[in-house]
Amino acid sequence: MTAVLLALAVLATLMLGAVLAVAMDRRIAQLAAGLARQRIETEAPDRLNRNLAPVWYFALAAAGLSVVPFAPGLALLDSPVGIVIWGACEALTIVAVFLHGWSPNAPFPLIGAYRYVAIGLPVMLPSMFVLIAAALPAQSLSLLAIVESQREMWNVTRQPLGLPLFTIVVLTLTLRGPMDFADAADIATGTSAEESGAARVVWEVARAAMLVSASAIAATVFLGGPLGPVLPGPAWLWIKTAALMAIFTWLGHRVARTTPSRMLTILWVILLPLSFVHLAIAGVIAL
Amino acid sequence: MIDLLVALLAAFAVWTGWRVFRVDSMVRASFSLMLSFIAVGGIGVLLSAPYIGVATVFMMAVEMMVMAIFMVMFMMNPAGLNPMSMVHQHRFSIGAGIVAAVALGAAVLLSPLPSDPVLSETDVVADLGHELLGPSMLIFETAGVTLLATMVGAVILSSRQGRYGDSDEGSRPPGLTPDGDPAGRQPEEGGGHDHHGGHG
Repeated sequence: MTAVLLALAVLATLMLGAVLAVAMDRRIAQLAAGLARQRIETEAPDRLNRNLAPVWYFALAAAGLSVVPFAPGLALLDSPVGIVIWGACEALTIVAVFLHGWSPNAPFPLIGAYRYVAIGLPVMLPSMFVLIAAALPAQSLSLLAIVESQREMWNVTRQPLGLPLFTIVVLTLTLRGPMDFADAADIATGTSAEESGAARVVWEVARAAMLVSASAIAATVFLGGPLGPVLPGPAWLWIKTAALMAIFTWLGHRVARTTPSRMLTILWVILLPLSFVHLAIAGVIAL
Repeated sequence: MIDLLVALLAAFAVWTGWRVFRVDSMVRASFSLMLSFIAVGGIGVLLSAPYIGVATVFMMAVEMMVMAIFMVMFMMNPAGLNPMSMVHQHRFSIGAGIVAAVALGAAVLLSPLPSDPVLSETDVVADLGHELLGPSMLIFETAGVTLLATMVGAVILSSRQGRYGDSDEGSRPPGLTPDGDPAGRQPEEGGGHDHHGGHG
């Protein structure tokens, strides 16, 4: 019974959250109009991956959300390695976006795909350090234990570098603003350049769902997830997730994108050492 | 139930592993191999090794992504979408395949398998951590430092800057035809014969 309710909660959060994410981008009318358009065919595409890439993107968002606790001690997938499952979803997201750009067999999508991988893989390293640092005070890789460890103090104050670093990860996973090297306007919307009609809408919905999922993980890991006074657990999780979605959307629209080569330098030379420092501080505090 | 799932995942791993050699593109081959490893990771999760199973999935996702890019780079197959054969050295590889299959099969069938079921309340993830940073620390750290040294070495070898100047200085690409002129841009002062206007 609880499992059915949790499964429904995950699905509803993903669906309604995706609608909210599209509304925050003010693109509901644009996407609705897209449904009526025709699909473009490219020459000699990889049909299987072209059709399935948006499905995988959405499925990874759903899998990521399934480990999020909706109330203290209550998650659909109560795994002792919940945070590692989310890490696997992150890594596979890069593969899904790459295949989305690779499969149409066309120049702009391919450039977007390779550019995204070059940026996405180095982003995985700070991501892993940040998530491991969050697991240290809980002494567990389970997201339920990580929520419990934040009863006294949220990780956002205990590990101040965590949420800013994870913000970069979220922007990368959702192809947004400064980290959108896959679907950016400078290469004619990159991996989506040959995508039109319903297929394009499905891709955008999956991208919105990934924003919901990544924000829910950020809320769980840094803002205490379902913990909070008066209101029930799920309500707190939804409030925190929506607030983070608004911040990520705002940053995505406000922060400029730099060139891929400069972003690579920033990632390897500044953010990676910064995440080392973050992990070291978190480790010393946890001792 | 778990037996059936393990059997299905094993069959999927073998099928995707076989696909690696039957597809006609580096990218398809890499991601077929990734699916094969993901199935193996799933078996790990089912056999009460959740950390190793899930870690296999994310390691292989990253590794196969890197491998796909490197193979496309080295094979000069610009998009990885140009059809090409994934097999070579047929006679040698058939022999090596048979030897490996017989040896590994014999090892599985002949070695006495332990029957030591893990109690359901055991905290296997914590046990694994204590093992890796306890009795097995020397092996674990040796492997870690070796990998780190390999990565540092690879970065140094592929770096353009070197102690004696840029590494590609004076290097010439091979000709487009056998014994032909080097492809690409010709150096300004070098050569001395038959400049054909720069671009190859």
